[in-house]
Amino acid sequence: MLSWLDANALSMLNGVALAAVLFLIAVGLSLVFGTMDVLNLAHGAVSLTGAYIGVAFLERDTTIPLFVTAVLAAAAFGMVAGVVLAAMTSSVGDHLRQALLTLGVALIAGDVLREIFGADVESVSAPASLAGAVSVFGRPYPLYRLVIIGISAAIAVVLYIVLERTRVGALVRATVADRAMVEAIGVRTNLVLGGVFGAGAALAAIGGLLAAPILGAQPGLDDTVLLLALVVVVVGGLGSLRGALVGALLVGQVQTLGVALASEYASFLLFAAMAIVLLTRPRGLLPAKTGAHG
Amino acid sequence: MMRSKAQPRPSAADRTGASASTGGGRRHLPRPVLVSRVALGLALLVLAALPLFLAPYPIGLAGRILAFALLVVSVDLLTGVTGMPTLGQVAYFGTGAYAAGLVGIHMDSSAVLQLLVGSAAAALLALLTGAVAVRTSGIVFLMVTLAIGELVHRFADSFAPVGASNGLAGIPPISILPGGEPLELAGFIYWWVLAVFLLGMAVATLVVKSPLGRSMRGVRDGEKRLHALGQQTYPVKLAAYTIAGGLAGAAGTAWVAQTRFFSPGDLGFDVAAFALLSVVLGGAGTLWGPVIGAFVVILVRDWLSAYVDGRGALMLGVLFVVAVYTLPRGIAGARWRKPLRRPRRTSP
Amino acid sequence: MSVSSVPFRRRPRRLVPVTIGAASILLLAACGGGSISEGNGGEESEGPVKIGLSVPLSGVYAALGEDMTQGFELYLDENDGQLGGRDIEVVKADEGESPQTGVPATSKLVTQNDVSAVVGIVNSATALGLKDTFVQSEVPLIIANAGADELTDDASPYIWRTSFTNGQVGAALGAAVAEELGDKEVFLMAADYAAGHESVDGFRETFTEAGGSIAGEAFTPFGTTSDWQPFLSKVRSSGAGAVYVFYAGAEAVNFVKQYDSFGIGDSAQLYGAGFLTEGGVLEAQGAAAEGVRTSLHYSHLLDTDRNAEFVEAYQAAYDEVPTVYAVQAYDAAAALDLALEDAESTDGAGIADALANVGDIDSPRGTWSFDEDHNPDQPYYLREVQKADGGLANVVLEELTQ
Repeated sequence: MLSWLDANALSMLNGVALAAVLFLIAVGLSLVFGTMDVLNLAHGAVSLTGAYIGVAFLERDTTIPLFVTAVLAAAAFGMVAGVVLAAMTSSVGDHLRQALLTLGVALIAGDVLREIFGADVESVSAPASLAGAVSVFGRPYPLYRLVIIGISAAIAVVLYIVLERTRVGALVRATVADRAMVEAIGVRTNLVLGGVFGAGAALAAIGGLLAAPILGAQPGLDDTVLLLALVVVVVGGLGSLRGALVGALLVGQVQTLGVALASEYASFLLFAAMAIVLLTRPRGLLPAKTGAHG
Repeated sequence: MMRSKAQPRPSAADRTGASASTGGGRRHLPRPVLVSRVALGLALLVLAALPLFLAPYPIGLAGRILAFALLVVSVDLLTGVTGMPTLGQVAYFGTGAYAAGLVGIHMDSSAVLQLLVGSAAAALLALLTGAVAVRTSGIVFLMVTLAIGELVHRFADSFAPVGASNGLAGIPPISILPGGEPLELAGFIYWWVLAVFLLGMAVATLVVKSPLGRSMRGVRDGEKRLHALGQQTYPVKLAAYTIAGGLAGAAGTAWVAQTRFFSPGDLGFDVAAFALLSVVLGGAGTLWGPVIGAFVVILVRDWLSAYVDGRGALMLGVLFVVAVYTLPRGIAGARWRKPLRRPRRTSP
Repeated sequence: MSVSSVPFRRRPRRLVPVTIGAASILLLAACGGGSISEGNGGEESEGPVKIGLSVPLSGVYAALGEDMTQGFELYLDENDGQLGGRDIEVVKADEGESPQTGVPATSKLVTQNDVSAVVGIVNSATALGLKDTFVQSEVPLIIANAGADELTDDASPYIWRTSFTNGQVGAALGAAVAEELGDKEVFLMAADYAAGHESVDGFRETFTEAGGSIAGEAFTPFGTTSDWQPFLSKVRSSGAGAVYVFYAGAEAVNFVKQYDSFGIGDSAQLYGAGFLTEGGVLEAQGAAAEGVRTSLHYSHLLDTDRNAEFVEAYQAAYDEVPTVYAVQAYDAAAALDLALEDAESTDGAGIADALANVGDIDSPRGTWSFDEDHNPDQPYYLREVQKADGGLANVVLEELTQ
């Protein structure tokens, strides 16, 4: 048992790091679906744009102030993109037409990004002071990944507090539950929903940027990210913050610990795991309590 | 764009057609039936005559469109008719294609045999996987079928007997019957693909008109209500899933009869997504709408893109976005003569 | 569940859309011809000789396509738009990412545009899917990248390759690594698809023949692996003294960076097929790639007069250094140049015949010629990523003996 732990502890820790990135990217997808009932397939493109913003800001030497600036820029871009997408999808009712619309947007965005940044693989370096390795379980482990875990955990806590403990959060939850009632007390729900969409997209862009030193930025990454985020969201349970967190943790472990233990079957693990979860718990592991859909 | 184009020349067909969309579908309207027969006959005539005047490349394109269209129809049977949106039909499309290719390489070049084996293998796999998949619905069903598609894709990617990631090559040209003359010319192969397409459309139409088809629409329009009435929906969904799987398999055999090559890239996520979006673009629930959707998607991706170096994806993206706003019910639901009931302020 | 519930309509009652559909199909007839009688592509004609260039302009391989286009066009520009003294018209096609788009787009060049030869093709599966079309239409395909071993198995007169085979690139490195490592073992790792397996097999054969031993091996899911830590853990616990890998594109970038950030490089020297550190990939890897050793048939730092001249012209034209992909397409143009000079006719069959007799090609990569399977018989070089002229580059250490 101890030797097993010794051999795999690093994989488990690394699974948490992967989960941290996945959570940031997926939580927006989940919330938008939960609050607005919109299936946003342009989410991966937003995330990839975040990564490219990193490329634009951080050429070779990356300092922490510059990195923070890039994060803020990515967040601002995501916010705008989210509001635009919210406006575009507001008149489109059913999921399949939303899929057609948002995938169309994603295809256009992919082409524009390729036009601006070229087809080459681009890379972003982590801030120099975070680029090294630290010793974990007696082995070198990249410090930057530990930082990502920290940032992601902090964002998760803030999100939880905002959604569960503040007036804004109460408004969002109320809008999900009964839009007409919220309108009746004089709140413009469109603003609430646009805000959620914007915040979700901003998180996706930040996630894409934070992941860029690990995943890079290149054409096609948007699809990969979108698929992973979709898996995280449905496995965890649509529309719930905790669901996205649990989904991300599970997918992270499957992709690292699972791959370490059964590397011959590595390419099947992710989708096999998703199929098993969905067939046993169709609503995901931790579905939203306000079940507007199911 | 299409709306304004169709402005002049109103016809009787349009008037009756527009009002019939809400009708119950009784058989007491001889006139529209006649018109639809004429339209169908015209379309068939054009399709059958294509090899007489199209060169090998466009005829190959037309054949690929027909094979893809049959895949799209199988997606529509589930997505549009039964209300179960799917990304998994590529799995059965691939099964049919690989089975046909293996039969061609190792047994016999007969297209009839390949069609039978390919669709049967695909239907069988659909029955086995559908048995668990159709227990879910909605977006969960969508994701389960995505998983099925991806798992089959990855299996094909590493399975040596079907050429793994390099693809299955060296498939001999088809003959119609066992021991027959091999068909080398694009036009003849196209006619075989057209035959498979029409056969598949006939099966789909029969299914839709049968009692099973009525139950399938029942599932779509209110599965809970059917449950309340004491009706079992599981067998209906599984039957629909199996038939759709068989159709997708037939489409796969038609595809491979033409390309004589099949690789895991042919059953990737993008193919699955385009098949589903062709249904939405064409108009989910009708059978001919998605066929037109498939036609448009492949034409833009493979033909138009040749004139805009590497911009095929951009064109598709623009097409999708424009279609969502201009054709709210897909191509099949478009009003070809009158403007939309509620004129929009935005579009000129 | 809130999926579309468009009411089902029983019959296509509307004549108009059908008519529009039919009319648009008939528009295609403008291409004319008919397809139920015999006819070959690549016909002899009066005007310029049409050559197809099919490389990825979109998708994940688009960067390679750009390099190949530049290499091909540079050769044409250097020769006033002529090959073998004849005017050339280049018809381009977008190979895209997979056979799904690559096969039809390239077939179109042959069956519709009537080109006399096609240059390009990055993806091996696409090349395999096209092989029959070219053989049947009697139009030569000059593969300027795709490396699948089986493409040239039967040495068809219409299939030629100016690039490499996956096995060759790996095999070139085996003996040298065995000699350098002494009694240390090597761990083998590659993307889990045909190219990865062929590359590793090629390396393993020459490496074990030269007395090397293998510590273990792992194949990582192709195109979907983003985190190599689980595999790198295996390397560490195997105690290997070196690692041989096959990765390209984004996977090469992420792999090399992670290899470095997990500190594996401290105990195990990284070797690979040259695509691991070629072109834009190396730039994205940055300092993480320093010290990585690879085998390849080209480096822009190769110290020959022919190469210096080529690099200078390339930099003048495109303001960047050439990659192996550019050279492969450049050499395809060179092979066509020599073939067209002697060709008895400019149709596909005439060019194919002439290709068999082009002899030595004086290339930036060194002199090479087609072998009996129509693959290049060429020198391979051991390269190491070092700091050179302001950035990182693949410095040539020695020519590898085979």
